[in-house]
Amino acid sequence: MRDADVSVEVASDPLLLGPVRSLVRTYLEALGIGQDLRDDAVLAVDEACTNSIRHAYGGPCDRSYWITLRSAPDWVEIELRDEGNPAPASKLERKELAPPPGQEHVVPGGLGVQLIYSVFDDVTFCTGEDSGNCVTMRLKRPIALKQTEG
Amino acid sequence: MALTVTVFQRGDIRVVRVQGEVDLNSSPQLRAAILTGVGESTGIGVDLSDIQYMDSSGVATLVEGFKACTAKKLSFLLLSPSLPVMKVLKLARLDSLFRIEDTP
Repeated sequence: MRDADVSVEVASDPLLLGPVRSLVRTYLEALGIGQDLRDDAVLAVDEACTNSIRHAYGGPCDRSYWITLRSAPDWVEIELRDEGNPAPASKLERKELAPPPGQEHVVPGGLGVQLIYSVFDDVTFCTGEDSGNCVTMRLKRPIALKQTEG
Repeated sequence: MALTVTVFQRGDIRVVRVQGEVDLNSSPQLRAAILTGVGESTGIGVDLSDIQYMDSSGVATLVEGFKACTAKKLSFLLLSPSLPVMKVLKLARLDSLFRIEDTP
C-alpha cells in the first residue's frame, strides 16, 4: 500500500526552490486548497527547505532532502526530511511574533520556523541524535472545498 | 525565476527596482544591489511592485538594508510592495517597521 501521494528527493541547491514551490502549489491546487492558504503553505514549505539547505547542510548543493506529500479527506500533510546537522531545540520553539520594539532589536533571519508555525494547523519537528531533521506540517482541509461542483 | 534588478536615480533617492521571485537563491542579488548603494544617495527606495514571491530571506535582506541605511541616517523606503511582499511582511509582523510609499 502506498505511503504517499508524492515523494521526491531534491538536491540541496537553492536554484531548485522555485521548482519545489511549483510542485507543492500544483499539488495543493489539485486538492482544492484555496489560493490564500495555498500561497501561505507554499511559503512555509519553502522556509522548511531553506532551513535544510542553509542550516542543516550549511551550503553545499550536493546533498539531498526529501519531500513527501500525503492527504486524507480532512487533512493534507507535507513532510520534509534531511540528513544534515540537527537544529538546536531552542531554534524550533514556537515564539510569538511581535512588532519590533525598536530598530536596534530587529534581527534579520530566524523567521522561517515561526512562519511555518503561523501557517500550518499542526507542526511537528523531530531531530536525530547525530544527524537529520524532520518536520511534518498538517493543514486541515476546509469541508466546502471538498465538495465537487455541478 | 531569476531576479531582474534595475538601479536608477530618482531625485535624491537611489531606486533599486526588482522583478521576479526573491528566495534563498536570489536574495544575495537583492542584498548586493541594496547595500552597494548605501551612502551614494540620501536614501534608498526598493521598488517591489513586480515581485511575485518573497520568503523570509528576502525579508531579512530588507531588514539588513533598513539597518544599514538607518545607521548612516539615510532613508530606506519600500516602493509599492506587491501583495505577496505585503503578505510575508505581515506574517513576520514587520510591515510596521518600514516606510512604505505607493508610487504611481
